[in-house]
Amino acid sequence: MLPEKLKSELTAQIARVDHPREMAIDVINALQDHYGYFSDEALAQAADLLGMSPLELDELATFYTFIYREPVGKHVIHVCDSLICWMEGDENLVAHLCDRLGIQMGGTTADGLFTLLPVCCIGYCDRAPAILVDRQVHGPLTIDALDRLIDTLRENHS
Amino acid sequence: MPTLKIDNREINVPAGTKVIEAAERLGIMIPRFCFHPALGSVGACRVCAVAFTEGPVKGIQMSCMIDAQDGMVVSTTDAEAVDFRRHVIEFLMLNHPHDCPVCDEGGHCLLQDLTVAGGHGLRRYRGLKRTHINQDLGPLVQHEMNRCIQCYRCSRYYQEFTGYRDLGVMGIGSRVYFGRSAPGMLESPFAGNLIDICPTGVYTDKPSRYIGRRWDYQRQPSLCIHCSLGCNLTASARYRQVVRHEARPNLEVNGHFICDRGRYGYAYASIADRPRQAMAAGTPGPIVDILAGAREAIQQTVEKHGPGSVAVVVSPRSSLETLAVVKEACGQHGWTGPAAAHTNRQALNRNTAVSCLRPELAVSLAADTEAHDVLVIGADPLNEAPMLALSLRQVQRRGGHVIVIDPRGVQLPFDFDHWAVHPSAMGAILQALIQEIGGHRATAPDTPATFDITKLARRLNASPRPVVVCGTDILTPHEIALAGDLARALRRTHKVAGLFYTLAGANAFAAALLHDQPVSTEAVLDRIEDGGVRLLVAVEQDLWREFPDRKRLQAALKRLDHLVVLDYVDSPLNREAGHFIPTQPLYESGGHWINQEGRLQAASPVMAGGEPIEITGGSDHPPRVFDRRIPGDEPLAAWRAVAALAGEDEADPAPQLKTALADFHPAVNLSTPEATGQRIDLEAIAHDLVESGPAPEPAEDDAPADAVVLLLVDWTFGTEPLSAMAPALTRMEAAPVARLHPDEIARLGLAEGRPVTVSLNGNRLTVPVQADPRMAAGVMAVPRHHLLEWQVFGETRVIVKRSQLKAESE
Repeated sequence: MLPEKLKSELTAQIARVDHPREMAIDVINALQDHYGYFSDEALAQAADLLGMSPLELDELATFYTFIYREPVGKHVIHVCDSLICWMEGDENLVAHLCDRLGIQMGGTTADGLFTLLPVCCIGYCDRAPAILVDRQVHGPLTIDALDRLIDTLRENHS
Repeated sequence: MPTLKIDNREINVPAGTKVIEAAERLGIMIPRFCFHPALGSVGACRVCAVAFTEGPVKGIQMSCMIDAQDGMVVSTTDAEAVDFRRHVIEFLMLNHPHDCPVCDEGGHCLLQDLTVAGGHGLRRYRGLKRTHINQDLGPLVQHEMNRCIQCYRCSRYYQEFTGYRDLGVMGIGSRVYFGRSAPGMLESPFAGNLIDICPTGVYTDKPSRYIGRRWDYQRQPSLCIHCSLGCNLTASARYRQVVRHEARPNLEVNGHFICDRGRYGYAYASIADRPRQAMAAGTPGPIVDILAGAREAIQQTVEKHGPGSVAVVVSPRSSLETLAVVKEACGQHGWTGPAAAHTNRQALNRNTAVSCLRPELAVSLAADTEAHDVLVIGADPLNEAPMLALSLRQVQRRGGHVIVIDPRGVQLPFDFDHWAVHPSAMGAILQALIQEIGGHRATAPDTPATFDITKLARRLNASPRPVVVCGTDILTPHEIALAGDLARALRRTHKVAGLFYTLAGANAFAAALLHDQPVSTEAVLDRIEDGGVRLLVAVEQDLWREFPDRKRLQAALKRLDHLVVLDYVDSPLNREAGHFIPTQPLYESGGHWINQEGRLQAASPVMAGGEPIEITGGSDHPPRVFDRRIPGDEPLAAWRAVAALAGEDEADPAPQLKTALADFHPAVNLSTPEATGQRIDLEAIAHDLVESGPAPEPAEDDAPADAVVLLLVDWTFGTEPLSAMAPALTRMEAAPVARLHPDEIARLGLAEGRPVTVSLNGNRLTVPVQADPRMAAGVMAVPRHHLLEWQVFGETRVIVKRSQLKAESE
């Protein structure tokens, strides 16, 4: 269930624009922040709020990398999957990350801490190879720097 | 009018024509996946690349995106262009499962054709293919996403063309997925067209799965007879069973599409309980003997009681051939009828519409889409004539405007204005509107202020191309004539103003030409009750299902000396008949039909009659018994049977048909093949048909203030008697409910979801109540649903007093 406060806030925001669908992405993001991911339940609620069909919202949601239609870990690691990062040795980083976390690209660790996703491209070519964790860019990365980052994130939770 | 050269041949095309279309005019078929004439260009698939060698555009370009211009020189065979297309096709085929041998599209697949034609014969890609999980899209359309080549035709058709929002495109890049957010039944009643427009086998016809390949079928051009629009289709049969309908493009009628009622309504023709055996009082016999027996019964009745004691009722769905022979027989022998409408109101409604449809006003379904403003009066397009709703959507898409004046909670797949007006107020509104259009200030009728007649009149007057659409189901002849007057009034101030009626029955237009004074079944029953008619011949008219008073019908049938029934559907009426003669549906007889705009169209016979092998073989190998005859081949074309009843013994009925068609009506000329497909001569129809008939008073005038008008109405699925027999469509039907405005439910002391019983003259109809805020006050709409015994009140529009309504507890 959506808290009344969030619902009324969103309703008010939607009422301020000419066409409710202008607010589609904002509503999706708000609901994703609330639920942790953009669940089927959230999809139905967003469709209700915006007067759009669930399919129309799903069309948007599945287009964007940063909208998660499935549950994700506490920290989503978006690894840049584009040319410049490839040139700077991104493949080694990905292999190391998969190895270190024990998951494949797209997977979530058993403790629910990390989800690994590719993203194309985050626009930090000057800092390649780069990754994005919790809306923070990290790069240029070495394997050591990556290990330190994972350790820090883990420590914060223990 | 630019002139350009394509493959060394010159062609002159109208400005705005795309190069791909210009080439088509020359008979050059440039490959295409995303381009479709009804959907237009998007340039997504890249397979229509051609080389522009001279002129304003140079190099390899997409021929669907470039307007034909003067001086262009185009080569479709240019080596670079051919190579380009070959690579595009190879790329599109990367993930294709190569399952053509088990794919229902295999053999008539555009992707297959273009892959071969494009020269991609050897697969080089050795990697993994992306795969998808398919969805259950309901009983009509089968989904197989792996075959997709991302042309986007389906989502563009579904969302843009038909206006429904439950199928579209999800994902990005190689994960692009066409389907629904969650598996489930497709909401659009036009979803079946996905099968026709998909260039490969992502959407295939579900009911005809595992039945055969397209080249196994007997395929013939046919017509849809499930409403009056006369959409063109191709019918397929296999093993004496009609198995599939596809849309047949006719740019003057249905464009490229048909609705799902028309696409899947064919099952009645091959259903197991279809009567195929002639019967005399329930005893089967050779059809020749039964016909002779019926003829004798007719002769005896005529000798005893005179020719007028024999009456004929015929269906407005019957072919022109049948109607003509019936008319000729009645005229020649002085029989009563033929009646081709149930009630006096319905007969007058139909004839009023036909007589008001003057040649300068008539517009086709396709021309409707070019209207700027459409005023819909007393019609519910999606439910009564679904393809009309699709045409009106195109009006709105082109920036036009649609206004619907109708008491029902009309829904359409686009934004429109709805005036939910009580049926009794419709006439006054139309009259005021006509006055305003003529420049006179009208005294506003008693309607809510939101229905601004002056503004609407101004809008219609200012419209470059207004069209008036008028239904004939719930209205009275008076309003139908007013709709014609309205179009004529607009015509005075416009060069182009259109008038478009919908009628009840695929051949209702021809039925209107049977008489100057229409005869109804109701009138025939009057004659039976007063003893004037002693023998009734029902020709393909299933009175049991369709006459709105079953009790009265049964009593009248008991009074008859004799009943002769000719039909191709099973009905209790057939068992009442002294003589029953099985007839052929249009797939076997073929014939001509005149649609609601007066267009004469032909359907070819698809197959010879006979019991489907599915039935004779009990879903297995057909019986290993040898016979000269096909089992169940007795049914005759109805016109042959009628000719045999009316003519001399053993006479060849063909000359009789020829005379009957020639004498049918001066407006209908079948002597030249060119006449088929064209509008008949509307000028030759008397435009005063109405005045000659009795004009019924609108009964609502003296109704008490607390009364409601009960309308028995059409629904897209479940009410049209033939398509209601299709198993594929039963899951599409909604359960019958009585729709009322929520305030009306409260006022009448009813409760939503609870049944209400309407009691009138000792007859009762019980149906659950559903609130519909779009309904007009004082109106209750109930579908003529096949699951509901609605045939109780003798009319499909009746006044019900408050005391005659009772809320049921359960």
